[in-house]
Parts: sequence; C-alpha cells; structure tokens
Amino acid sequence: MAPRLSLANPLVTADQLETTPSGRDGVDPALEQQLRCTGCDLIQAAGILLGLPQVAMATAQVLVQRFYYVSSFTKFALRDTIMGALFLACKIEESPRKVKDIINVFDYVIKKKQDLPIIPLESFSPLFYDMKNGLTVAELQILKRLAFNVQVQLPYALLVNYLQCLGLTQHPRIPQMSWNYLNDGLRTNIYVSYQPPIIACAALFLAARQCQVKLPDQPPWWTVFDSDLRDLVNIAGHILSLYHTQPPPDIPLTLPELEEYQSEILKAHPPGAI
Amino acid sequence: MRVEIGEDMNARTSAKYRKEKKVGEGTYANVYQGVEVATGRLVALKKIKVGDFKSGLDMSAIREVKALRELHHPNVIQLIDVFSHKTNLNLVLEFLDTDLEMVIKDTDLIFKPDDIKSWMLMTLRGLYHCHRSWVLHRDLKPNNLLIASDGQLKLADFGLARDYGDATANMTSQVVTRWYRAPELLFGAKKYGYAVDMWAVGCIFAELMLRTPYLPGDSDMDQLNTMFRALGTPTDEDWPNHTQLPDYVQFKQYPRTPLTTLFTATTPDSIDLMEKMLVYNPIKRITALEALNHPYFQNLPRPTAPKKLPKPALNINEGQVAEKRRLDPGKSI
Repeated sequence: MAPRLSLANPLVTADQLETTPSGRDGVDPALEQQLRCTGCDLIQAAGILLGLPQVAMATAQVLVQRFYYVSSFTKFALRDTIMGALFLACKIEESPRKVKDIINVFDYVIKKKQDLPIIPLESFSPLFYDMKNGLTVAELQILKRLAFNVQVQLPYALLVNYLQCLGLTQHPRIPQMSWNYLNDGLRTNIYVSYQPPIIACAALFLAARQCQVKLPDQPPWWTVFDSDLRDLVNIAGHILSLYHTQPPPDIPLTLPELEEYQSEILKAHPPGAI
Repeated sequence: MRVEIGEDMNARTSAKYRKEKKVGEGTYANVYQGVEVATGRLVALKKIKVGDFKSGLDMSAIREVKALRELHHPNVIQLIDVFSHKTNLNLVLEFLDTDLEMVIKDTDLIFKPDDIKSWMLMTLRGLYHCHRSWVLHRDLKPNNLLIASDGQLKLADFGLARDYGDATANMTSQVVTRWYRAPELLFGAKKYGYAVDMWAVGCIFAELMLRTPYLPGDSDMDQLNTMFRALGTPTDEDWPNHTQLPDYVQFKQYPRTPLTTLFTATTPDSIDLMEKMLVYNPIKRITALEALNHPYFQNLPRPTAPKKLPKPALNINEGQVAEKRRLDPGKSI
C-alpha cells in the first residue's frame, strides 16, 4: 500500500532499535554508534564542500540512519553507503551533483578525517573505480532495502515557524543554536525515532535552556506544538551526548577495514577477560 | 509507519505481478503490460533501466516515484506498487488503454463541444490536485493524458515533475515538449510556477478544437515566432519586464488577432477561458482552480459523462503508448 501524502516519517520500532542488523552480526553497539556518527559527519562535511542545501545533507543522513536499521555494517560498507545516500538525496532534493564530484569530495573529507596526506584522487585509478562502483550499488541498495521510502520530512521549516510563534527570531543566539542542534542531531537516532515537530521542539527547548530564556509555561509552550516533556528531555539527552564523546578518527569505512578493526579490538580485549 | 525491510517486501511485491508483453519503450524505461495475479487486473509495469553507471538512477525515475507517491486522485495515474527485481526498479501503474493524442488523431471520431468540456474538466481536476500538492507536472501534452477504459482521463508521465513554491530555487527552463512550452520557458526563465502547466492546458484546449497541434514550432526560435504570429507579439504592457528574461530575443511585432477568427465554431465562454490560459504574463495567467470555476464549466452544454466519450476502436497493442511516442523526433525535448 503506497503511503498517502504525509508529513510523517517512517520510524523504527523499539525492537529495531534494540537489536540492529549489525548487532546481530557481532558489531559492538558502541562501535555501531561511532560508525553512524562518523558517516553522518562525513556527509555533512562533504555536503558543505559540494555547496548543497542543508536539506540535501539532512535527507542523506536520515537515509543512512534508516538504512542501517535494515542492513548490517558488516555487509554494506559505510563509505559506499554515505556516498550513495548523498548522491540520492541530491536528486531527491532537486540539487543533483556529478558522481565524479561526490567521489572527489568524499575522498578529500575522508583523508582529512583520517589525517592522511591530501593527494588528489586520480580519475582512472583503481580506488576511483572502486568508489564509483560502490556508490552506484549503494544508491540502488538504499532504494531497494528501504522499499523506496526515501522521502524524508525535516524539522527545519517547523523550527522557524516555532521560533516565530514564540517571538524568538530576533534573539541573538537561540535561532542559530537550535538550528545547529537540528544539524548535530542528525548523527543520533532521533530522526528515526521521533517525528519532525517533536525534534524541532526539542532543539528549541535545549537552546532556550542553554541561553536561560524562560518560555511560556502556563500551559507549557511545547504542548501547543504537540510534544511532551519526556520526549523533549530524551531527545535533548541524545543531542547532548554527542558532545561528550568524539568517535576516534580511524573509524573503519570499508568492509576489510571493519574486519581488521574488530579483530584488533578482539585481540586487545579477548572475550571473557576484563 | 515503520522502517520496512525492503528486501522481504520486494520479493512479496514482485510475486504479485506477472509480466506479459512489452508495449512501449521510453528514454529511461521499458513498459510492459502485466497482470496482478490475485485479481486479474491489468497493470502497466514500468521497468527502469539502470544499466547507465554514469549518473546512477535516472532523475526522472526518482521524480516520478516521488510525485506519484504523494498524489492520489481519480484524474492522476495511480502508482500501485514499486519493487525491485535483481538490479531493476519496477513501477507498477494502472493500465490505461489509450491517450488523448490517439483520440485527437483518430479521424473516425467526431468531437462534440460537450466531449471537449469533459476532457478539459478532467485534465484541470487532475492538474489542480497536483498544484494544490505543490507539484508541477512540466510535461503536459495530449500524449501524456491517458484514458482509462471507463473514459476517465488521467495525468501521466511525471518524469519531469517537481515540487515548486520555493521562491529562491532556480529551476531549469528546458521542460515541457516544445509545442506546449510556455513563453517564459522559451525565454529561459529560471523561476516559474503553475502557469507553465496552464499554458500547456491552453494549447491542449485549442488542439482539441482544431484537431491538430495549435502552435507547432520546428525549433525553440520558431516556436516563439509561431506563437507570436498566432497570438500577437507581447508588448511591455502585456507582460512587464519580459525583455529582461535571460534568453530574450526581439521578434517582429505581429498584431494580436482575436481567437474567434481561428476558432469560428465555438462559444464565447470557451474562447474566454482559452484566452485566459494563453495570457503571456505568467502572473496574470489563470490558475487551475480559477479555470475550474470559469463559467465555461457551468454553462450548457454539460460535459459528457466519461463513459460516453468518443474512443478509438480498441487495439490492445497500442495501449500505454505514452512511453514510446517520446522517441518521435521533433516532438520531445
């Protein structure tokens, strides 16, 4: 049954959150978190260099999050998935970019993240072909494995609306800060566990707290926007947790790298040993 | 809604349909006639070619899925399912026997004014639904207005459709088959809206009356020339600032001839509606909703019931022709 025009996103169930395909394939939950976070971070960086609108980057990141709730990191390389997701998202958001440009930019941001020397990628090198192949296959896999549910509703416009309702558009810090929280939140699972209005409220809630601005509480302002406090606090917690830990720069991006990475972890911490 | 595991769904969906025979070929897809196994209902299976590794999945395919997933209306083709099989993507669409171009070209058929009113009404209803959902079709022509066996007309081929309404977004002016392309597009406008679809509807309206394309230009330049010869060259008063458009070229100043000289046998209300659709200034052009509320649709004769509309003698091989005609030279962009 094709969904009707809807402002709702498909969300993952509690079961899906609890047991991910990667978890079943022996990927440590902490590592999975770092993989997701790193992937989204790279998409954001690449999108900025490609001059894409934020909605395209956001769509790509949500697609990656959704994708890894139906697929395992051990079978679909993160590097290819993020390239494929951004390539697809560009087209969905009517800002297409060339495959070549996407590959070059990802190669650059990956080298930069891994602190490797920045040598421009040769267009006919094996690595280029490998990346190109990975990208096209990943695009198709995303469409296929998400059953074409690739439309992503985003909270940015809602946030602007809420800021206007609360008379905060002229505040020196809140608008930008809450916008940034929406961007950073893409690295967490909030976009696959909550609908856009609640996410927009949570970003605003958090920014207002940080700036110590009191908002109407008789009744609490978020009830007007169909949110409840428990969800806001939960989302805020997820966003804030991003700032406590940074994934290490050497997060494995391809399948062989992931295998090696995991076997090294296993060597360093053999099961049973504490 | 939950995040579905597409793989399982694909297998289930794919088993629901049986592909029968190829009925058409287009730029990015092959079209097959198929059957929904459980019900015996005819469907069209649009198999999207993904062999092209240069640019990945065709933008048209993405646009079509995106638009049709949102649009549900009796006068818009229904996307029944989407599934992938091996490396192919398949869209399952309603199967429709014929299209308005075939109807217009069939010289055995005689159109009454009531018939034309009925087709216009269905076209505008479908289009109003698209515009209300912020989707521009951008490729309206008789060939993309498919007709079901019960006579219902349905907008099809959303390969160029996109959302609109973002005043800052630039859009390409290389859309709409030339004969139906609005003047602002021919002058290279990068920002436009519902009006481009309404111009095309105006051309289709005229074509229904004339039984031949109204403005058949041989090239983009000739298109403008043909248009101005028919409708007069716009002045700055008709269309303020059009000389500032990116591809503006000055044309000979043709006088405006009243539409009644060409459309002699028709009623004043239909001429009035057509004139409002073929207004040069896109801002002044009639909207789909205004058109639906135009006296033309309230005045007699009443539109023919879809079931009673003239239809070509059914030749099943000609079904779902939308795709294959796109390859005709000089007709598609």
